[in-house]
Amino acid sequence: MRQIKTLALAGAMALVGGATVAQELYTPNLSYRTGPFAATGIPLMNGQRDYMLMLNARDGGIGGVPVNFEECETGYSTEKGVECYERTKEKALVTQPWSTGITLQVLPKTNVDQIPILAPGYGFSPMADGKTFQWAFNPPASYWDGMSMILQGLAEGDLSNLAGKKIAHLHLDHPYGKEPLPLLEAMGEAHGFEVLPIPVGISEMQNQSAQWLQIRRERPDFVIMWGWGAMNAGAITEAVKTRYPMDQFVGVWWSGHSDDLQLVGEDGKGFRSVSWSLPKTDGAAMAAIKEHVLDAGDSLASEEEFNEVFYGRGVVMSAILAEGIIVAQEMHDTKELTPAQLRDGLENVNFTPERIEELGLTGMMAPFSTSCSDHTGHSGAWMLEWNGTEFVQASDLLSPDRDAIGPLEAEKAAEYASANAPWPINEACEG
Amino acid sequence: MLYRTAGQFKSTYQADQALFPIRQDAVLLGIILLFAWVILPLTASGFVFQTLLIPVLIYALAAMGLNILSGYAGQLSLGTGAFMGVGAYACYKMVTIFPEMNLLVAVLLSGVFSAGVGVMFGLPSLRIKGFYLAIATLAAQFFLVWLFEKWAWLYNYNASGAIQVPNLKMFGVWVAGPQADDRAHYYFVLVVVTLLTIVAINLTRGSLGRSWKAVRDMDIAAELIGINLLKAKLMAFAVSSYIIGVSGALFVFAWRGAAEPNLFDIDLSFRVLFIAIIGGLGSILGNYLGAILIVALPVVLNTMPEALGLDIKSATVEHINVMVVGALIVFFLIVEPHGLARLWQLIREKLIHWPFPY
Repeated sequence: MRQIKTLALAGAMALVGGATVAQELYTPNLSYRTGPFAATGIPLMNGQRDYMLMLNARDGGIGGVPVNFEECETGYSTEKGVECYERTKEKALVTQPWSTGITLQVLPKTNVDQIPILAPGYGFSPMADGKTFQWAFNPPASYWDGMSMILQGLAEGDLSNLAGKKIAHLHLDHPYGKEPLPLLEAMGEAHGFEVLPIPVGISEMQNQSAQWLQIRRERPDFVIMWGWGAMNAGAITEAVKTRYPMDQFVGVWWSGHSDDLQLVGEDGKGFRSVSWSLPKTDGAAMAAIKEHVLDAGDSLASEEEFNEVFYGRGVVMSAILAEGIIVAQEMHDTKELTPAQLRDGLENVNFTPERIEELGLTGMMAPFSTSCSDHTGHSGAWMLEWNGTEFVQASDLLSPDRDAIGPLEAEKAAEYASANAPWPINEACEG
Repeated sequence: MLYRTAGQFKSTYQADQALFPIRQDAVLLGIILLFAWVILPLTASGFVFQTLLIPVLIYALAAMGLNILSGYAGQLSLGTGAFMGVGAYACYKMVTIFPEMNLLVAVLLSGVFSAGVGVMFGLPSLRIKGFYLAIATLAAQFFLVWLFEKWAWLYNYNASGAIQVPNLKMFGVWVAGPQADDRAHYYFVLVVVTLLTIVAINLTRGSLGRSWKAVRDMDIAAELIGINLLKAKLMAFAVSSYIIGVSGALFVFAWRGAAEPNLFDIDLSFRVLFIAIIGGLGSILGNYLGAILIVALPVVLNTMPEALGLDIKSATVEHINVMVVGALIVFFLIVEPHGLARLWQLIREKLIHWPFPY
């Protein structure tokens, strides 16, 4: 019975697999438009999708080959994520896992399956070490970069200002939230501030009274938030309720979602979030998206969403992938790519200010470039501040303290490689 | 016709009490085993292995563990997910402390740890019953998951708080970790599941299983006829947690490859409980049928629109999927409240009498 059913399915799968495939660039996205994190996921995924649809509509794809930006729904569940990975890996040029949990699951498989992982602004920070993680990319900035930039933002450029202060790290109790802790603790030791980790379990995301009671009791000088989905809104409303000063409350880029702040409106004034993308809708790329996708009725996004931070970030994410594809096409002098060729492309992306201008993304992202040994690019980021109605830029470009992060990355990457031995390391890489 | 029993005579009591009193049952099982051991592994793709075959076997094993406790011995438990976690973390610690340890030994030993924990949380079952016991096991669920999060030694002080399965070899073949082939994973799971299924069938048919059933049906009567309640109940907790622990170790080592603590959350407990209830409490076959319905069916449904050439958005498919599976669960429970195993039994009965029902 079980076997008969599965065999029937195996037959059906074979039929599907056997169908002929038209020329296309298949870049599936493991999206989540359902589940507890859907609210934050949807605008990002709409941005990603619309940029690719715009390229298809305006230029007929990339280098003349249309992009198939199919979505596979995971609901942020690791189990579904792996199901999607298995389903798409036959044809996929790239995996966009969209959750630190799924990234951790598929990361060890990349060396075997040889499909690049693209995790823009998330995933495992040591993935920056391209020698060890040959198939993983997390441009333009890793979580550790983000933490370092937040600290600089809080210290107003001089980390010695933080000496003697107490910083709470309010985070989702999940690989994602724990990710920046090693760096924060190391920085705390180096610069003499106290670190207070406050985990929020997935089941308590919407009711954080215990955590905020602790914050009220401990009176930290700053609260850094590593939240996602329903946790952001929960934390911000609790912060308003406990009257925690908003200008001492800073989130990572995933915690700066306009919808969460709209719940509190004016009361949220002063809340900051570090971000490697800026919402600017007057550029050429955004105008093209509006013309070819939004006005053509192909978008899933609303007019209001189009102006939000997260939508713009989704656009930048797809622009990074598209640039990787363009570089790969030029390097290998072919239009249709293999995953290995795309890997080479992603490794040699160079977003100079001129290139950003050319793509029509001026002001939306900071320049960066990747290399064989640097899979992140460390572009730097800005502070965004909630002014009561929207997020506005509130600082110049901050850049991460690479001298402090680099050694930690190398150490953790080596640890990972030894725990997963045999793990191939690309010694040929320079620098 | 297919199930004609004419001509199958039993001349001894032993033959009449055999596992398969009807020859066709044995033939059917033989065919299923042939599929499981030979035909499917030769034909299945990576997707089928990873999303259908391996998870169905592992979930069926977990449900079997729960079924021994709830279906045979009548003790409700909501802590299955956490007990699976105990097995998984025990296995992880063993293979990282003793890297040269044979994985099969490690997996089978990891059940011992969860059996120990299971017995500890089973102690209240001597005083409390039914829903009250369910609450006691719920405490185990929350406590253990909390422990997996807080006790950093369990995940070797890993920064992400997750456990990662290292590459492990057995007899020169990679059986766990990213280097391992799907087929190796599958056979590894199949060997363990087959072994434990045989053990479970024999246990439940033997004197221990009979004492469990007696306790389930009426514990005072069972005590009066000389069954030691303490022993019977704690044995049920031990055997059940052992099987659940082994399934947890397989869950992470032969399937997921990595696990964070909240993977073993109450959702997992409920999932296994649903499999056991929909499959049929007090049956071994039911666990497999339940696992197919709960684990494999949604995956199959997810691929349907694409296979039929329908252009439906992935998120919509997911929503439809949840509705269809939910409706099916309600449907099956209305048609046969005792589960899919009982449904199969009725069909079989009908087949035996067919074409002359009475």
